[in-house]
Amino acid sequence: MQTGKACSEAITGEVRVRIEGGLAHFPGLAKEQTVSFNDLGLPEREELTSLADKADFFGCTPANETARPDARTYTVGLTIDGRSREIRVAEPIRDPALARLVSVVRRLSKQQAVAR
Amino acid sequence: MCASTHRHSLHCILPPYILSQIAENGSPELRAIAMHSLLIDPTIRIVRASTAGPVTGTIARRRSAAGNVLTPSPLRTIRDAGGEPEAPGPIVVRREGQGPTGDVAVDEAYDGLGATFDLFWEAYQRNSIDDAGLPLDATVHYDRDYDNAFWDGTQMVFGDGDGELFNRFTIALDVIGHELTHGVTEKEAGLVYFNQSGALNESISDVFGSLVKQRLLGQTADQADWLIGAGLLTSAVNGVALRSMKEPGTAYDDPVLGKDPQPGHMDDFVRTNQDNGGVHINSGIPNRAFYLSATAIGGNAWDQAGRIWYNTLLDPNTRANTDFAGFARVTIDVAGRLHGTESAEATAVAEAWTAVGVI
Ligand SMILES: [Zn+2]
Repeated sequence: MQTGKACSEAITGEVRVRIEGGLAHFPGLAKEQTVSFNDLGLPEREELTSLADKADFFGCTPANETARPDARTYTVGLTIDGRSREIRVAEPIRDPALARLVSVVRRLSKQQAVAR
Repeated sequence: MCASTHRHSLHCILPPYILSQIAENGSPELRAIAMHSLLIDPTIRIVRASTAGPVTGTIARRRSAAGNVLTPSPLRTIRDAGGEPEAPGPIVVRREGQGPTGDVAVDEAYDGLGATFDLFWEAYQRNSIDDAGLPLDATVHYDRDYDNAFWDGTQMVFGDGDGELFNRFTIALDVIGHELTHGVTEKEAGLVYFNQSGALNESISDVFGSLVKQRLLGQTADQADWLIGAGLLTSAVNGVALRSMKEPGTAYDDPVLGKDPQPGHMDDFVRTNQDNGGVHINSGIPNRAFYLSATAIGGNAWDQAGRIWYNTLLDPNTRANTDFAGFARVTIDVAGRLHGTESAEATAVAEAWTAVGVI
């Protein structure tokens, strides 16, 4: 247990997200948000890492779909332990793992935006 | 099944194919009774629901022959995503004709789709999104703390909001009407969701979304609040709605959300790469043109102004890449055809577009 915990705590990285579109355009929510792993708890870091693996975030080829009316487009950047990538996905996100990853990233960035 | 209280003994005695013959060839009285029996036949209703389309062909002809015109039904199906980012949601929670569930988002979506269907059918004789009885599907409880609603090409998707800044997105009837109208626009003019044509696409959804609400509340153009999404923002937000068609740019001014960026005049048109070229921003200009037209014409906005905008959406001169000025010209043409080129209605529409600097 101790070994696993130490290993997880060592995960470094950050999350970046910019949300466009949606039913209304809110200038205050349209800015890019960056969340450092240093500001996240261990469960959140582990969840992000696990979801990024499940979604094959660093290797997948995202579908190049244009946004449907009022659907959002997410530009998501992840840096985890030196690996870094940015992808752009439009709703509805059909891949369940990628949809969950974007959902978590969205909520973490929202907490950050509201806290500021 | 054939209880003695059954009013139409024909249905109990005769198989459907015989009823069909009577509906087509019998005396007027027998035809009407046979048609009624056919229409309440559960097998026909099940086929209609499962084929998900309007009754056409032989049955439609028989219905017509019997002088019996069935009021179209919205054929609603509401699904629950259970807080997952999954649409359509995996669980069907309410189908057409079923009673309230007690889940407020489910019931608001059901009622909102019904009110929107009613506006298009009763005011413009349009049978659903495609004017051919397309069933109306919606998914609620989409994702967690999800502050949005959208049309995904086949269904309406509603989040519950985060509870901090946004309430559930089914709370505003005009938002439900707005989403469904995106489907109508897609089937008609197909306005490209980018720049001015995209802002027109957005504006048309606001127009008919607002008309759904005004009609349900029985409000004239003067009585309506002309807000889009009233009730969506929580009390923590300094704002009253997502947008104001009457005074674009005044719906909110909040430390977190920022200030409502909508212009109400071409002088303030916003050029931006964000938001698909500002589709939710510059829609304030045609929104205000509609508001000015409707209030100048007076009465119920869905009657005259709404009819002009609806016919414009269907007009072959409104194309996928139509801009504000092109759309304005078609509204004026349509108003002239409906009411006369020198009519008060056509004048009101032309003056409205002039007032917002489009023509
Ligand atoms: Zn929209």
